[in-house]
Amino acid sequence: MTSARRAAAEAWAFRARVEQEAALRFDRLAAVVAGFDAGSPVPAMMRRAADDERRHTDLCARLAASLGSPVRLEPVELPAIAPQSLDERRAALYEIVAACCITETESMATLTTLLAGESDPEVREVLHAISKDEVVHSRMGWAHLSRESTSAEVAFLGALVPGMLSGTIDEALLGPPPVDEDAEGLLQLGVLPHAKKREVFLGTLEQVVFPGLERFGVSPEPARQWLATAVGLR
Amino acid sequence: MLFKKLFQVLVLGGAVVGASAGCSQANAQDKGKKPAADAGATSAPSGGGVKGW
Repeated sequence: MTSARRAAAEAWAFRARVEQEAALRFDRLAAVVAGFDAGSPVPAMMRRAADDERRHTDLCARLAASLGSPVRLEPVELPAIAPQSLDERRAALYEIVAACCITETESMATLTTLLAGESDPEVREVLHAISKDEVVHSRMGWAHLSRESTSAEVAFLGALVPGMLSGTIDEALLGPPPVDEDAEGLLQLGVLPHAKKREVFLGTLEQVVFPGLERFGVSPEPARQWLATAVGLR
Repeated sequence: MLFKKLFQVLVLGGAVVGASAGCSQANAQDKGKKPAADAGATSAPSGGGVKGW
Protein backbone atom coordinates (compact mmCIF):
# COMPACT_ATOMS: atom_id res chain seq x y z
CA MET A 1 0.00 0.00 0.00
CA THR A 2 1.34 3.49 -0.84
CA SER A 3 1.93 6.01 1.94
CA ALA A 4 -0.83 8.27 0.57
CA ARG A 5 -3.30 5.39 0.46
CA ARG A 6 -2.46 4.35 4.00
CA ALA A 7 -2.77 7.94 5.32
CA ALA A 8 -6.03 8.47 3.43
CA ALA A 9 -7.51 5.22 4.75
CA GLU A 10 -6.74 6.33 8.30
CA ALA A 11 -8.18 9.78 7.64
CA TRP A 12 -11.47 8.36 6.31
CA ALA A 13 -11.68 5.95 9.24
CA PHE A 14 -11.20 8.87 11.62
CA ARG A 15 -13.88 10.83 9.77
CA ALA A 16 -16.31 7.91 10.16
CA ARG A 17 -15.88 8.15 13.95
CA VAL A 18 -16.23 11.94 13.89
CA GLU A 19 -19.51 11.63 11.97
CA GLN A 20 -20.78 8.94 14.34
CA GLU A 21 -20.24 11.28 17.31
CA ALA A 22 -21.81 14.20 15.47
CA ALA A 23 -25.04 12.22 14.97
CA LEU A 24 -25.33 11.60 18.70
CA ARG A 25 -24.52 15.22 19.51
CA PHE A 26 -27.13 16.66 17.15
CA ASP A 27 -29.85 14.32 18.41
CA ARG A 28 -29.15 15.40 21.99
CA LEU A 29 -28.84 19.12 21.25
CA ALA A 30 -32.08 19.12 19.23
CA ALA A 31 -34.00 18.08 22.33
CA VAL A 32 -32.22 20.60 24.57
CA VAL A 33 -32.77 23.60 22.27
CA ALA A 34 -36.43 22.68 21.72
CA GLY A 35 -36.84 22.86 25.49
CA PHE A 36 -36.11 26.59 25.73
CA ASP A 37 -36.66 27.95 22.20
CA ALA A 38 -39.87 26.40 20.90
CA GLY A 39 -40.02 28.69 17.85
CA SER A 40 -36.52 27.90 16.66
CA PRO A 41 -35.95 26.15 13.34
CA VAL A 42 -32.68 24.73 14.77
CA PRO A 43 -34.02 21.57 16.51
CA ALA A 44 -35.64 20.28 13.31
CA MET A 45 -32.44 21.07 11.40
CA MET A 46 -30.44 19.18 14.01
CA ARG A 47 -32.64 16.10 13.82
CA ARG A 48 -32.17 16.04 10.05
CA ALA A 49 -28.45 16.66 10.55
CA ALA A 50 -28.23 13.63 12.86
CA ASP A 51 -29.68 11.48 10.07
CA ASP A 52 -27.21 13.04 7.62
CA GLU A 53 -24.32 12.22 9.94
CA ARG A 54 -25.37 8.58 10.22
CA ARG A 55 -25.34 8.41 6.41
CA HIS A 56 -21.94 10.14 6.34
CA THR A 57 -20.61 7.62 8.85
CA ASP A 58 -21.42 4.83 6.41
CA LEU A 59 -19.96 6.70 3.44
CA CYS A 60 -16.68 7.42 5.28
CA ALA A 61 -16.43 3.89 6.68
CA ARG A 62 -17.00 2.34 3.25
CA LEU A 63 -14.32 4.54 1.70
CA ALA A 64 -11.89 3.74 4.53
CA ALA A 65 -12.50 0.02 3.95
CA SER A 66 -12.03 0.31 0.19
CA LEU A 67 -8.70 2.06 0.85
CA GLY A 68 -7.62 -0.75 3.15
CA SER A 69 -8.66 0.35 6.62
CA PRO A 70 -11.89 -1.38 7.67
CA VAL A 71 -13.64 0.51 10.49
CA ARG A 72 -15.30 -1.20 13.42
CA LEU A 73 -17.72 1.30 14.85
CA GLU A 74 -18.49 0.51 18.47
CA PRO A 75 -21.31 2.25 20.32
CA VAL A 76 -19.83 5.43 21.79
CA GLU A 77 -20.68 7.62 24.73
CA LEU A 78 -20.52 11.28 23.90
CA PRO A 79 -18.21 13.18 26.27
CA ALA A 80 -19.49 16.46 27.71
CA ILE A 81 -17.49 19.37 26.36
CA ALA A 82 -19.11 22.43 27.95
CA PRO A 83 -17.62 23.70 31.23
CA GLN A 84 -19.57 22.26 34.14
CA SER A 85 -20.27 25.73 35.51
CA LEU A 86 -22.66 26.56 32.65
CA ASP A 87 -26.42 26.10 32.95
CA GLU A 88 -28.27 24.04 30.35
CA ARG A 89 -28.95 26.86 27.91
CA ARG A 90 -25.41 28.24 28.02
CA ALA A 91 -23.93 24.74 27.82
CA ALA A 92 -26.01 24.10 24.68
CA LEU A 93 -24.79 27.36 23.16
CA TYR A 94 -21.20 26.45 23.99
CA GLU A 95 -21.53 23.02 22.39
CA ILE A 96 -23.33 24.31 19.30
CA VAL A 97 -20.71 27.00 18.70
CA ALA A 98 -17.91 24.44 19.13
CA ALA A 99 -19.56 21.77 16.96
CA CYS A 100 -21.20 23.87 14.26
CA CYS A 101 -19.72 27.38 14.12
CA ILE A 102 -16.17 26.07 14.45
CA THR A 103 -15.93 22.40 13.48
CA GLU A 104 -18.61 22.21 10.78
CA THR A 105 -17.44 25.52 9.31
CA GLU A 106 -13.89 24.14 9.15
CA SER A 107 -15.23 20.95 7.56
CA MET A 108 -16.97 22.99 4.87
CA ALA A 109 -13.73 24.84 4.10
CA THR A 110 -11.91 21.50 3.81
CA LEU A 111 -14.59 20.00 1.59
CA THR A 112 -14.76 23.06 -0.65
CA THR A 113 -10.97 23.03 -1.07
CA LEU A 114 -10.94 19.31 -1.84
CA LEU A 115 -13.75 19.66 -4.37
CA ALA A 116 -11.83 22.42 -6.16
CA GLY A 117 -9.03 19.93 -6.87
CA GLU A 118 -8.81 16.63 -8.73
CA SER A 119 -9.88 13.56 -6.84
CA ASP A 120 -10.73 9.97 -7.69
CA PRO A 121 -14.34 9.57 -8.91
CA GLU A 122 -15.40 7.41 -5.94
CA VAL A 123 -13.90 9.91 -3.50
CA ARG A 124 -15.41 12.87 -5.31
CA GLU A 125 -18.87 11.34 -5.12
CA VAL A 126 -18.56 11.00 -1.35
CA LEU A 127 -17.17 14.54 -0.96
CA HIS A 128 -20.12 15.92 -2.94
CA ALA A 129 -22.70 13.97 -0.96
CA ILE A 130 -21.28 15.14 2.35
CA SER A 131 -20.65 18.78 1.41
CA LYS A 132 -24.25 19.53 0.51
CA ASP A 133 -25.30 18.53 4.03
CA GLU A 134 -22.41 20.19 5.85
CA VAL A 135 -23.49 23.62 4.62
CA VAL A 136 -26.67 23.22 6.65
CA HIS A 137 -24.82 21.82 9.67
CA SER A 138 -22.61 24.89 9.87
CA ARG A 139 -25.51 27.27 9.24
CA MET A 140 -27.58 25.84 12.07
CA GLY A 141 -24.82 26.84 14.49
CA TRP A 142 -24.75 30.40 13.22
CA ALA A 143 -28.55 30.44 13.25
CA HIS A 144 -28.62 29.42 16.91
CA LEU A 145 -25.90 31.90 17.92
CA SER A 146 -27.73 34.63 16.05
CA ARG A 147 -31.00 33.88 17.86
CA GLU A 148 -29.36 33.66 21.26
CA SER A 149 -27.54 36.95 20.69
CA THR A 150 -30.88 38.74 20.46
CA SER A 151 -32.38 37.25 23.62
CA ALA A 152 -29.59 36.20 25.95
CA GLU A 153 -26.12 37.21 27.02
CA VAL A 154 -23.58 35.53 24.73
CA ALA A 155 -20.43 37.55 25.48
CA PHE A 156 -19.41 34.99 28.13
CA LEU A 157 -18.37 32.71 25.26
CA GLY A 158 -15.44 34.89 24.22
CA ALA A 159 -13.18 33.69 27.02
CA LEU A 160 -14.21 30.08 26.36
CA VAL A 161 -13.40 29.88 22.64
CA PRO A 162 -9.70 29.06 23.30
CA GLY A 163 -10.88 25.93 25.13
CA MET A 164 -12.98 24.96 22.11
CA LEU A 165 -10.01 25.48 19.79
CA SER A 166 -7.60 23.51 21.94
CA GLY A 167 -9.98 20.57 21.77
CA THR A 168 -10.45 20.91 18.02
CA ILE A 169 -6.98 21.52 16.63
CA ASP A 170 -4.94 18.47 15.85
CA GLU A 171 -1.52 19.05 17.47
CA ALA A 172 0.20 17.73 14.34
CA LEU A 173 -1.35 20.53 12.29
CA LEU A 174 0.81 23.12 14.03
CA GLY A 175 3.96 21.02 13.77
CA PRO A 176 6.26 20.43 10.79
CA PRO A 177 4.92 18.54 7.74
CA PRO A 178 5.64 14.82 7.49
CA VAL A 179 8.86 14.26 5.54
CA ASP A 180 7.56 11.68 3.07
CA GLU A 181 4.16 13.22 2.35
CA ASP A 182 2.70 12.52 -1.12
CA ALA A 183 0.64 15.68 -1.49
CA GLU A 184 -0.79 14.82 -4.90
CA GLY A 185 -1.72 11.29 -3.85
CA LEU A 186 -3.48 12.58 -0.73
CA LEU A 187 -5.54 15.11 -2.67
CA GLN A 188 -6.70 12.42 -5.08
CA LEU A 189 -7.91 10.39 -2.12
CA GLY A 190 -9.76 13.26 -0.44
CA VAL A 191 -7.22 14.41 2.12
CA LEU A 192 -5.54 17.82 2.32
CA PRO A 193 -1.74 17.74 2.54
CA HIS A 194 -0.31 19.23 5.74
CA ALA A 195 0.57 22.72 4.45
CA LYS A 196 -2.77 23.16 2.68
CA LYS A 197 -4.70 21.86 5.66
CA ARG A 198 -2.96 24.34 7.94
CA GLU A 199 -3.55 27.22 5.51
CA VAL A 200 -7.25 26.38 5.16
CA PHE A 201 -7.76 25.80 8.87
CA LEU A 202 -6.11 29.03 10.01
CA GLY A 203 -7.65 31.07 7.17
CA THR A 204 -11.11 29.82 8.06
CA LEU A 205 -10.63 30.79 11.69
CA GLU A 206 -9.33 34.25 10.87
CA GLN A 207 -11.68 35.10 8.02
CA VAL A 208 -14.87 33.21 8.74
CA VAL A 209 -15.18 31.98 12.33
CA PHE A 210 -13.70 34.96 14.21
CA PRO A 211 -15.58 37.62 12.21
CA GLY A 212 -18.74 35.54 12.60
CA LEU A 213 -18.38 35.36 16.37
CA GLU A 214 -17.71 39.10 16.52
CA ARG A 215 -20.78 39.83 14.43
CA PHE A 216 -22.98 38.19 17.05
CA GLY A 217 -21.35 39.77 20.09
CA VAL A 218 -18.68 37.21 21.01
CA SER A 219 -15.20 38.71 21.22
CA PRO A 220 -12.68 36.70 19.19
CA GLU A 221 -9.70 38.40 20.88
CA PRO A 222 -9.02 35.69 23.49
CA ALA A 223 -9.09 33.10 20.69
CA ARG A 224 -6.79 35.21 18.50
CA GLN A 225 -4.31 35.49 21.35
CA TRP A 226 -4.51 31.77 22.08
CA LEU A 227 -3.97 30.96 18.41
CA ALA A 228 -1.01 33.33 18.05
CA THR A 229 0.65 31.66 21.01
CA ALA A 230 -0.15 28.15 19.77
CA VAL A 231 1.18 28.86 16.27
CA GLY A 232 4.17 30.83 17.60
CA LEU A 233 5.26 28.03 19.87
CA ARG A 234 5.83 25.73 16.91
CA MET B 1 -12.36 34.25 -2.24
CA LEU B 2 -13.07 30.90 -0.58
CA PHE B 3 -13.28 32.47 2.86
CA LYS B 4 -15.39 35.43 1.76
CA LYS B 5 -17.88 33.09 0.15
CA LEU B 6 -17.95 30.81 3.19
CA PHE B 7 -18.64 33.80 5.43
CA GLN B 8 -21.57 34.83 3.26
CA VAL B 9 -23.03 31.37 2.80
CA LEU B 10 -22.52 30.01 6.32
CA VAL B 11 -22.46 32.94 8.75
CA LEU B 12 -24.83 35.35 7.01
CA GLY B 13 -26.91 32.49 5.62
CA GLY B 14 -27.21 31.03 9.10
CA ALA B 15 -28.35 34.35 10.54
CA VAL B 16 -31.10 34.52 7.93
CA VAL B 17 -32.25 31.00 8.84
CA GLY B 18 -32.23 31.92 12.54
CA ALA B 19 -34.32 35.01 11.94
CA SER B 20 -36.86 33.23 9.75
CA ALA B 21 -38.89 32.01 12.72
CA GLY B 22 -40.11 33.87 15.78
CA CYS B 23 -37.61 35.44 18.16
CA SER B 24 -35.97 33.34 20.83
CA GLN B 25 -37.39 33.74 24.33
CA ALA B 26 -35.26 35.60 26.82
CA ASN B 27 -33.74 33.43 29.48
CA ALA B 28 -35.89 34.36 32.46
CA GLN B 29 -33.77 34.84 35.55
CA ASP B 30 -33.40 31.57 37.41
CA LYS B 31 -36.46 29.98 35.80
CA GLY B 32 -34.56 28.69 32.78
CA LYS B 33 -31.33 28.00 34.59
CA LYS B 34 -31.42 24.26 34.70
CA PRO B 35 -28.14 22.44 35.02
CA ALA B 36 -26.82 21.06 31.74
CA ALA B 37 -28.34 17.71 30.74
CA ASP B 38 -24.90 16.12 30.84
CA ALA B 39 -23.78 17.94 33.99
CA GLY B 40 -21.62 15.64 36.02
CA ALA B 41 -20.24 13.88 32.96
CA THR B 42 -16.53 14.31 32.53
CA SER B 43 -15.52 17.57 30.91
CA ALA B 44 -12.56 19.89 31.25
CA PRO B 45 -13.25 22.74 33.70
CA SER B 46 -12.59 25.27 30.93
CA GLY B 47 -14.43 23.25 28.29
CA GLY B 48 -13.31 21.29 25.27
CA GLY B 49 -13.81 21.18 21.54
CA VAL B 50 -15.13 18.95 18.79
CA LYS B 51 -12.81 17.13 16.43
CA GLY B 52 -13.60 17.44 12.74
CA TRP B 53 -12.20 16.73 9.30
